[in-house]
Amino acid sequence: MQVDIAYRPAQAMARVSLQANESVVAESGAMVGMSTNVNMQTQSGGMLKGLKRMFGGESFFRNTFTPQNGPGEVLLAHSLPGDMTVLDMTPQGYLIQSASYIASTPNVNIETKVGGFKTFFAGEGVFVLKATATDAGQCIVGAFGGIQEIPCDGTLVIDTGHLVAWDANLEYSVGKSAGGWIASFLSGEGLVCHFKGKGRIWIQTRNPTEYGGSIGPMLPPRNG
Amino acid sequence: MAAAPPVAHEITHGPSFAMLRFDLAPNQTVIAEAGSMVARHSGVNMEVKMNAGRSPGFFDKMKAFVIALIRKVIGGETFFVNHFSGPQGGSVWVAPTLSGQIAHRRMNGETLVLSSGAYVAHSGEVDMQMKFGGLKSLLAKEGAFMLAISGVGDLWFNSYGGIHPVDVNGSYVVDNGHLVGYEGNLTFNIKSAGGGLLGFVASGEGMVAEFSGQGRVYIQSRNTGSLVSWLSGILPG
Repeated sequence: MQVDIAYRPAQAMARVSLQANESVVAESGAMVGMSTNVNMQTQSGGMLKGLKRMFGGESFFRNTFTPQNGPGEVLLAHSLPGDMTVLDMTPQGYLIQSASYIASTPNVNIETKVGGFKTFFAGEGVFVLKATATDAGQCIVGAFGGIQEIPCDGTLVIDTGHLVAWDANLEYSVGKSAGGWIASFLSGEGLVCHFKGKGRIWIQTRNPTEYGGSIGPMLPPRNG
Repeated sequence: MAAAPPVAHEITHGPSFAMLRFDLAPNQTVIAEAGSMVARHSGVNMEVKMNAGRSPGFFDKMKAFVIALIRKVIGGETFFVNHFSGPQGGSVWVAPTLSGQIAHRRMNGETLVLSSGAYVAHSGEVDMQMKFGGLKSLLAKEGAFMLAISGVGDLWFNSYGGIHPVDVNGSYVVDNGHLVGYEGNLTFNIKSAGGGLLGFVASGEGMVAEFSGQGRVYIQSRNTGSLVSWLSGILPG
């Protein structure tokens, strides 16, 4: 699988070139275009797995694209304006914020991790996917805004709304941004993720929830 | 008093999705709008404070609190700020909420007036004062509260869309919704673009600010009000 990302950084689109019988698995709705010989197969991977995915903020279904009788291409994009990047699979794998996941090679195992009661309660769910593979593979992730890789060597604090992905060997815990809950509330930072260890973290330069929270109140109310 | 040394910083991902990184020296402080932090090294402490200016008295604090309440109601930034600093220094990343650009300006004693929501961060001997634009500005919805910034230090501000500086020499007209800020030696008048009530309704330009004097005006290439009215029109009723 060969991936070229065009129209970076604001309106990125991934062009995935597939050899005959190579496949790519993509989030439902991510496909922009494809060669006519590409066969698309929808799978939920079982009712329970599908439901768990939905609970984690993703779609119930994922699609597998496979070209027939020769090579083909698939164009994939994120739903929000922003950049995309390719993560090459490593032995430890990645944790990916669920809304950032776009596609992966079929050998990548994607497991939904529910972020825990605390994050669910705060309404700022950090639903993460764990992507692992036993051999070489790739994951494509998308961001709202630009993507910046920040190396972590020691400890780092990141706003949960800006997380895209991180190396799975990093320790992380979700907590309040300042010393106390009142200070955390006033600081406007909501929940943050505390990272520990040595690895890479990819962040997005805009926070979708915040963006919506800023424009939403200016819109007329929904009538039923 | 010697001016505080500039803060090492870098603006990336502009003009669409600009983000700002500060590389703080040990014990150097930068102050940023509440809620704008993306990431920080854990060695950099964050302390939330009300933005009442440097060494405020009791009256200043009360005034800042009342203004914060009014602003909370009419929209705009909450006016709590976060102070970042650490004994070892370290990096802090901040980003505004909407898509757009961030600009840096080294203040050298002049005054810059920013419209509501344009403030991102500052450092050094910088003073901020809330300005009420008058009844006319309330009518225009935008520009009711402006932030007058003066002193010596670094200032970062943001826009919705790109930031376009205009050097005014004489006079210049700017749509209210596109105004990011202007230098304090300029004066302006809020009026209807087409002149009179008909011009206000028919031109689709709403209220404009007519600047006069000599100085710089910063305008933004997009307008939040237009985004909202476009979205409102296509939402299901």
